[in-house]
Amino acid sequence: MAIQLLISLATLGISFDASALPLFARQTGQNCVACHAGGQFPELTPYGRSFKLTGYTIGSRVAVPLSIMGVATYSKVSDTSKSDNPFGPQGDFLKNEMPILATGSAFLGGKITDNIGAFIQWTYDNYAVAKPEGGFAGHSNMDNVDIRYADRFVSPSRDLIFGVSLNNNPSVTDPWNTAAAWMQYVPVPSPSSYQFIDGAAPFPGNSSGSNVAGVSTYIYLNKLVYAELGTYRTANGVFSPLSAGLDNANTTNLQGADNPYWRFALTHEWGAHNIMVGTSGNIAHIYDADTDISDPNNLGKIKSTGVDAQYQYILDPHTITAQLAYMRQETNYSVNTLGGATAPTTFVLADGVTPVAPVNNSDTTNTLRAKLSYVYQARYGGSLAYFNKTGTTNTLNQTSGYDPVGCGGTVICNASSIRVNGNLSGNPATRGMTYEAFWTPVQYVRVGVQYTAYSKFNGASDNYDGFGRNARDNNTLFLYVWGAY
Amino acid sequence: MKKIVLTLVAGLVAAGSGCSSIERSRDLANPDVPPAVTAVQVCSICHGIDGNSVSPNFPRLAGQQPGYIVSQLTNFRGQQRSDPAGFEYMWGLSRHLADDQINGLADYFSKQAATPNAPVDAKLMAAGKEIYENGLPAKEAPPCIACHGPKAEGLANFPRLANQHQDYMIKQLQVFKRTDQRPNTPMTQVAHLMSPEEMEAVTGYLQSFPIEK
Repeated sequence: MAIQLLISLATLGISFDASALPLFARQTGQNCVACHAGGQFPELTPYGRSFKLTGYTIGSRVAVPLSIMGVATYSKVSDTSKSDNPFGPQGDFLKNEMPILATGSAFLGGKITDNIGAFIQWTYDNYAVAKPEGGFAGHSNMDNVDIRYADRFVSPSRDLIFGVSLNNNPSVTDPWNTAAAWMQYVPVPSPSSYQFIDGAAPFPGNSSGSNVAGVSTYIYLNKLVYAELGTYRTANGVFSPLSAGLDNANTTNLQGADNPYWRFALTHEWGAHNIMVGTSGNIAHIYDADTDISDPNNLGKIKSTGVDAQYQYILDPHTITAQLAYMRQETNYSVNTLGGATAPTTFVLADGVTPVAPVNNSDTTNTLRAKLSYVYQARYGGSLAYFNKTGTTNTLNQTSGYDPVGCGGTVICNASSIRVNGNLSGNPATRGMTYEAFWTPVQYVRVGVQYTAYSKFNGASDNYDGFGRNARDNNTLFLYVWGAY
Repeated sequence: MKKIVLTLVAGLVAAGSGCSSIERSRDLANPDVPPAVTAVQVCSICHGIDGNSVSPNFPRLAGQQPGYIVSQLTNFRGQQRSDPAGFEYMWGLSRHLADDQINGLADYFSKQAATPNAPVDAKLMAAGKEIYENGLPAKEAPPCIACHGPKAEGLANFPRLANQHQDYMIKQLQVFKRTDQRPNTPMTQVAHLMSPEEMEAVTGYLQSFPIEK
């Protein structure tokens, strides 16, 4: 049934007018493969990177600078039995084994002047909020925004691209697919809808998250050195369009405008090969979500530092990409987080008596992602991805535990314990692999299947939630149809 | 800090409206953009600033015959050349180019100096040289040298082949042999006479063609 629906959606895509292509393709008149490696959105070819770094200004301005994108999906989690409420309202597996039209995006932008261009994405999530009475409410808000000015100076001895970007997400400006803002961007529907698909598994991320406001400036010299420096602040006041659609509770609040982002990379092309090795980072002075920002005790600090590398071999009909990204994230919690109601002070160890260790003031996580993909004729492709998140153990992150009241031994009966997503160990370790095969029947439709297998989840292989759920129970099959117009 | 950000934003807007220069434009629909500007701002991304492309996905244009460049750009613009390399990349880029711009682009790239390309092994070179200079008599395939010249430099509408990427030339020979995507060329007949091994040899020789100082 689900597969039938997905195939019929794909067929629907095929019947679209073949000359109608998304925004940038209309601007340049080129096929998707010119800018996207093997047609894999959003990974860029060397030409696609130049298109982006020169401010989306190549080509000619189009009359209606709009395009749309949609994702239809289906998922099946390996074991849905170990849950108190698998399928009811607010259930753990509400959308499991149910084909859904997950998300849709509208894009606005492209060439504005000879030096200014934009990439503005607005996204609607049909399953954004699970309603208490059952069912879902849709929600839309600003997604990626990158408005930039760029110039390119060429002389016999120098090829310099210079640019400035106003954007809402550190690294959204980056032209390599190992950047935090882009590596995750396989067709990920409504992250809230499926908790164990590859898109919801650990990815290296920046500190501040998205929907903030920042300006960054960059240079790319002689196709060898890329350097970018920017700083971010809360997207309010004049910058509020960058977080449009988000209410106060969901807006990221940063302290001041001293939240820097940096990026440095070296690149080289030879024959059909190209490689990038780089580093990036972000420091965010960030208020706890939905708290009073006049209270300094709600202020925490997250520092992210990463290294990444990407290799591509692009020679028709073959496209091979190898990606490696590692991010170390150091979180210093706010005073109120450490001392407030969020600390799980009521848990005890499994003996039912011994109190858990005190909360740590800070945590460090290390997230590694490696991915190898191959595409034939920009049509048939597959990938293999490995993810491994490790980090310090902290009772602050323990969301399941043992309660001494009314319970003893190994009986768990604390009401605040969480099945399925709970963390009994206080350790974030999550590890696994994702296998993917996809088919791109026409350049703006992609049909794919992913299988994500976990060997560790929330710090343990077995019984990670304290209710007997094992990491492998979260293994997930995921089908998607992605289309753009 | 807020002032700095606002100044940068204001600067961005001002720069876009005031300092935009046609001398560094990437607009492909403006007939006033000089061809040399389009060559370095757009074409160079794939074909190289000096026309010596790095990736074999994209043909080298350095030293190419201007007449050949004009004919190909005109065919891309008119969608008469429909091989994948043509329609995927070049139809769109060429669709609004004016005749003067096409002539100017041909002038720019034809005046660039070709640089040596990657070498191939000596045995392949020898086999390729034999085919290039003498053709395939048993199959009555004419020698390449007859049209493409003793230095493989081409003539008028016959393209320069010296130092061209081997992979690109093989793919084009296959286009000539298997499709009608590049019509009205004697290469259709010639390519039909060539085996894959012969294509590999002669294109290997041409990729490594010795450049005379």
